[in-house]
Amino acid sequence: MEIIGKISKGSKMDQIYIPKNRTGFCIGNYVIIKPLEEKKPVERFYFYDVKSIEPIKLEIVKEVMRIINENIENYENIIVTGSFLDEGFQFNDIDIIIVTEGKISTSKIENEIKKTGIKAHILILNNKALARGFESDPLYQMMLSRCITKKRFIYKTKQKINYKLLDLHLLKSKTLIDNSDILSGSEKYDLIRNMMAVYLYLQGRRLSKELVDNEIKKSFDLRDVNRIKQNIIEKKSFLKKYKSIYDKTFIKILKGIESGAEQE
Amino acid sequence: MAQNRNKLIELFIANISNAVIHEILEQAVIEEFIADKYRKELATSFEVAKRYREKINPVNKPLPDKDIAYIKTKIINKVRAELTTRISKGYKNIDLDLIGNLVDKALKDTEIE
Repeated sequence: MEIIGKISKGSKMDQIYIPKNRTGFCIGNYVIIKPLEEKKPVERFYFYDVKSIEPIKLEIVKEVMRIINENIENYENIIVTGSFLDEGFQFNDIDIIIVTEGKISTSKIENEIKKTGIKAHILILNNKALARGFESDPLYQMMLSRCITKKRFIYKTKQKINYKLLDLHLLKSKTLIDNSDILSGSEKYDLIRNMMAVYLYLQGRRLSKELVDNEIKKSFDLRDVNRIKQNIIEKKSFLKKYKSIYDKTFIKILKGIESGAEQE
Repeated sequence: MAQNRNKLIELFIANISNAVIHEILEQAVIEEFIADKYRKELATSFEVAKRYREKINPVNKPLPDKDIAYIKTKIINKVRAELTTRISKGYKNIDLDLIGNLVDKALKDTEIE
């Protein structure tokens, strides 16, 4: 039995009047009074390997999810990832993957997110492409190891080595070998991270940003990967080591192609 | 640090070659390739080549014919050698016929010719 009443103002105390003709609610009974308007349920997201996040970033994530939710009718999931989830505020933008089978224009959403003061990079993928990226692309695996999602995100895929794709990915990192002087610290870091991700992936390692950063520190004898971003590494010894890892990785890929592991 | 013109041209050649190789390999795996958003943001060889181009005189007009011929031949040879290495290892679907057009396009896009 429930009765809805209105709180009215009294002289010494306020009260709620209830009808005299009623079932239950006998004189002398104790009752619970609580507001009729229920609190809106708190929206829950799924956090994968995000140990902590600044409250303001969480607000941004909520806003991003709301904007996408209002602008897209059918989607399977929304994934927030990338450097935005790193500790601090060193990020340039917020990486968002919208998983959907439909074709969507992202410009309106990007513009709305921009109003929050943050640039959004939106990638539209269907489930199949996402699963394929997750099973065969080291950088995708690394990115998706740490993310916030709207819905539960489960991809139980077997790691699949596609040597031709890895060759293509590794080639990007070749840029650093001859162009150290012209590249900025953060460009160097991105290229090293890309190479290291391919290198570790070939060893069958499950990638995460932490693992890749730790391997970079170990391989280049650094206390902190930020030294690369700050462009204050010793060039000669660094490049020697870089070239050695690059060559080792490339040889392994060529061998893989040769053995026909991924050839038809 | 000021770099001499020849050195800048060699660096330009290395980067454009890399960009052309990348484009041809991308064509070879197009069906398995998914949106490469993260890597698109890496400092691509083409972008780096453009930075060198901005330092090679004459900056705002095409280079002399002699330079163009040298650069073009060197890029074509470099790209062909890299791709041939892969073909010899059994890499299929690499279309060497794409080289000429892609090199011409890259040189036009960077205002070398």
